[in-house]
Amino acid sequence: MPRLVARYFSLLWEQRSMAVIGLLLATITAIAGIALLTVSGWFISATALAGLSIAGAHSFNYFAPGAIVRGLSITRTVGRYGERVTTHEATLRVISKLRAELFKTIANKNWQENPLNNHDTSSRLLEDIKHAEALYLSALVPGFVMLLCCLLYLFAMAVFLPASSIWLVPLVLISILFMPWLYLRKVLAPQDKLHRERNQQWSTASSIFNNLRLLILHQRLEKTGTTLLDQASIADFTEKQTSLARETVLSINQVILAILTLVVLWQGLLALSAEQIEGSHLFMLLLLTLGTQEIILNGTSALANFGLGYAALERIDNLSPSQNQPEIEYKSRQFIDTKEISVLLSNLDYHYPQQASAVISQLSGTLTAPHWYWLTAPSGHGKTTLQHLLTGRLTPSSGSINIHGSHVEQINSMPQKIDLLRGTVRYNLCLHQTHTDEALIEALALVELDDWLQQLPDGLNTWLGHSERMPSGGELKRLGIARLLLQDSRILLLDEPTAGIDQPRAARILNKLHQHWAGKLVIINSHDSSLMSRSDKTFNF
Amino acid sequence: MKNSTALLCDSPDAKTLLLNAGKIANRESFWLTGIGITQTLCTIVFAAIIALLINSAVYLQQSIWQQTHWWWLLALVLSIKALLPLIQSRLADKASTKIRHALRTATFQHCQQHHIHLFPTFSAAELSSLISTEIDSTRDYFAEFLPQQRLAVLAPLLIIIACSSINWLVPLIFALTAPLVPLFMIIAGHKAAEASQRNLTQLNRLGNLLADRIKGLNALQLARATVHEQESVYEQSESYRRSTMQVLRLAFLSGTLLEFFSAISVALVAVYLGLLFLGKYQIGTWSGEISLGHGIFLLMLAPEFYLPLRRLGTLYHARADAISVAEHLLRLFSNNPSNDNTPAKHPPTASQQKSLSKKINVITLRNLQTARHGQLLNKPLNLTLTPGQSVLLRGPSGIGKSTLLDTLAGFLPIAAGQLLINQQASDVFNHTQWQSRIGYIAQQPELLFDSIRHNLCLGRAFTDEQLFAALKAAQADALVRGLPKQLDYQISDSGGYLSGGQAQRIALARIFLHQPDLLLLDEPTANLDDETADLFLKALQQFTQQGGMLIMASHRISDKAFFQQVITLHSKEEATDA
Repeated sequence: MPRLVARYFSLLWEQRSMAVIGLLLATITAIAGIALLTVSGWFISATALAGLSIAGAHSFNYFAPGAIVRGLSITRTVGRYGERVTTHEATLRVISKLRAELFKTIANKNWQENPLNNHDTSSRLLEDIKHAEALYLSALVPGFVMLLCCLLYLFAMAVFLPASSIWLVPLVLISILFMPWLYLRKVLAPQDKLHRERNQQWSTASSIFNNLRLLILHQRLEKTGTTLLDQASIADFTEKQTSLARETVLSINQVILAILTLVVLWQGLLALSAEQIEGSHLFMLLLLTLGTQEIILNGTSALANFGLGYAALERIDNLSPSQNQPEIEYKSRQFIDTKEISVLLSNLDYHYPQQASAVISQLSGTLTAPHWYWLTAPSGHGKTTLQHLLTGRLTPSSGSINIHGSHVEQINSMPQKIDLLRGTVRYNLCLHQTHTDEALIEALALVELDDWLQQLPDGLNTWLGHSERMPSGGELKRLGIARLLLQDSRILLLDEPTAGIDQPRAARILNKLHQHWAGKLVIINSHDSSLMSRSDKTFNF
Repeated sequence: MKNSTALLCDSPDAKTLLLNAGKIANRESFWLTGIGITQTLCTIVFAAIIALLINSAVYLQQSIWQQTHWWWLLALVLSIKALLPLIQSRLADKASTKIRHALRTATFQHCQQHHIHLFPTFSAAELSSLISTEIDSTRDYFAEFLPQQRLAVLAPLLIIIACSSINWLVPLIFALTAPLVPLFMIIAGHKAAEASQRNLTQLNRLGNLLADRIKGLNALQLARATVHEQESVYEQSESYRRSTMQVLRLAFLSGTLLEFFSAISVALVAVYLGLLFLGKYQIGTWSGEISLGHGIFLLMLAPEFYLPLRRLGTLYHARADAISVAEHLLRLFSNNPSNDNTPAKHPPTASQQKSLSKKINVITLRNLQTARHGQLLNKPLNLTLTPGQSVLLRGPSGIGKSTLLDTLAGFLPIAAGQLLINQQASDVFNHTQWQSRIGYIAQQPELLFDSIRHNLCLGRAFTDEQLFAALKAAQADALVRGLPKQLDYQISDSGGYLSGGQAQRIALARIFLHQPDLLLLDEPTANLDDETADLFLKALQQFTQQGGMLIMASHRISDKAFFQQVITLHSKEEATDA
């Protein structure tokens, strides 16, 4: 069983009281509905027969059945509402938890080696995860209700029409076991195909709207548009096939149930003529059958829905394939508690899984505080990779890194691309840590963003991000430095910190950083070596 | 088809748009209604035969049930009832496919007509999901809700007629309760509409939060804040759950109401009939006489009366979804950002487009001005460009650098002044032949979600040698050779293994391959670090050395070294200076 399906059920177990109440209410509602029909059928047959004689009409107690009929109709109504609200509430709670947990799983993985597909991930966490509701809401509940009602039905029929069981049992079994299985077989595969085709369609559409100029200039817009519409038509066709498969199975089931109806009527009439049942029971049994059939038709898709929910969870599970990532970092990084801060690299090798040649091979060296080390190597020689290896976001293929005088959480880095999150300036700087406003302003002043902060409408509470205020490239870099300043670090890794910042300002900021991070080990990757200060060293590889 | 597309685009509101869209499949919906009526008739006939058989067996103690023709008739009616849904679903799917195809075509045509003018009012992601996911989601509305809507009126009417052949009180009960149903549904539906609007807002918030945090995952990971962020995701997810439940509670309320009427009508009919049989009163019948068969007939039809309405009630979401999609479509159709210079006014007919000479020797801008939304942007600009020359375009943000590039590429009309090609004034707006000779690279490199090979070829045929030669010129050959599957590597929406600089170099390789006469670049180095940017610019020089003309807009000061001419754009209000 995929990990997520197991997790789904354990979360459902946490909501068990609500889930069980929902199931109970669903059962009560279904039984009340069948009973309402059955009792009504008996009541009018019995009164009609009693009404034939004046004495019979007088002695007939119509209060109890009348009250039962009214009671059942109220029970069915209230039960239905309660059932739907409770089952949905339970399901949505489970999904809410599952979504947050999945986010955590994805967020805790390293995506350096295997880039995450952003659109795919968010759409699965938002929409695809909703299919998981099928597991309980449209599979367990109707499936359970169907099985229980059928058992009760067969029991009732065995009491009233024992001779008919030989006909009814196989028909009911086919209808509630074989047909759902057939439904699952016929619907699951086209549904999966449909899902893939719709994804393809989205991808083509996205390709068009992200590349409009290119497509127009190359006279490809018309053609790509036709491709998109064709893809949509193909998906529509698959959708048609899916619904046809669904309806075919349901139609066959309806035919089986029609045979069931005729058998009950025929057996009932036989039994009546043999005086094995009373006249008032015949119509009652027929309505009992018709009422149960409605429940069976509802439950036919239960098994397939389970399959759909299962497949959806499997798809989401594939987003973060656990087998691709070594959960336990084989101790390539050793932390040694000393006063001195230094990093010792020995025989480090790394190559990206999809690439043939190693980016870093047999790298050794020592970097010690209090110095700034400038990584000098041509582009594509693994400067950024080395930083990832030091932070532990990538694991070397072989070799080891010994880190002295710093804990894991005291190694902090500033990436080449600063991600801005939609949120306030404060949120973007703190990122869930608590800092005083003074500390934030101090950090911003150090990277010369105090003027920028001044002109923001709401100061630290101004919202940043897409469709909000977007800082320029240089400002973004400086925000990234400010983020780093707020963290307590002993080893700092900077990847192109000054790109997009004009040189005099970059020199001023680096100067201030030298003072701020005095005594710490700073490893910097920058092409602009004119910014090096005299105490800095180069680390060549 | 042409007509219906125009009709769709001109719909005044969402409901009319759905109505007009529904008309596209008029013939199918006519047949669907017919099938629905046949089904109801089958139900009535089934009830009548059952009533007849049971009445004769139980009440009259005859055995007409031994006559086989009744059983054949029952079997026939039940088979028709069981098999009709097959035809029904085929027709319904056909109708909905037809309609959605028309909607997609209309959407694409609109987008094709207004192309870059759609931005920034609409985002690329928004348009992509509109033309795929959103239009697809209207299936249930067109396939199920629309046919059911007509049936919800016709089928109960048939049942009332059938019942009134025996009794007047039972149909009266139906007729009196029936109007209450839509009334309550409208009240509940009104509340539900408000709640579902709130719910949509919550869903959007959740979607934005997820998309944003996943995009910025790196920052969260570096700050070790993923656990805290999980809590925010959970909280937003919970507020979405609460608002969804609000909508569902109201939606279920109208469903329950139907359930209630359906249940209570069975109970009412049963109790009424029982007391009638017992002779407690004599009302409701036409003749005063009533048999068990009549009772059975009436009781069996009682739940059927509300069935079509109940089915309609379960499709409430289909309608709500379709209306929100229709509103979105209307926002697109009614948004004619290029109104002031509608392409329709300048249809790109072949006759109007003078064919260009084979070789372009000189391009001259004479007092050229550009405009966006009817506003003139820059001061008249003069510029001469000959093969092998490169121009750097500078100026503050918003001055119209991108607009000038778009104008030169023929995406926008020239607002004032002239563009001369080989000393001949030319209108290049929407000029396909001109556009095929333009290369364009933007800040975000335009790469299709397709293989590298298709991205380079774009419909033309090149050998692998040619492709690698172009990649080499763009300094991207080693990069492509290092990728899994090399030229057949599929580019995905997150760019896969390609960094911004690498993507730019692949876009550049495409330029070398197609050899446009004029290359326009809009801030291509803005997202690159200096080293990568310099690499890119060095590769770019090859283009001019091969005799290409180049205009590039950039903010970066260090880019200046690579260009022969530097032109600074001035806003038209600014005082003239040398």
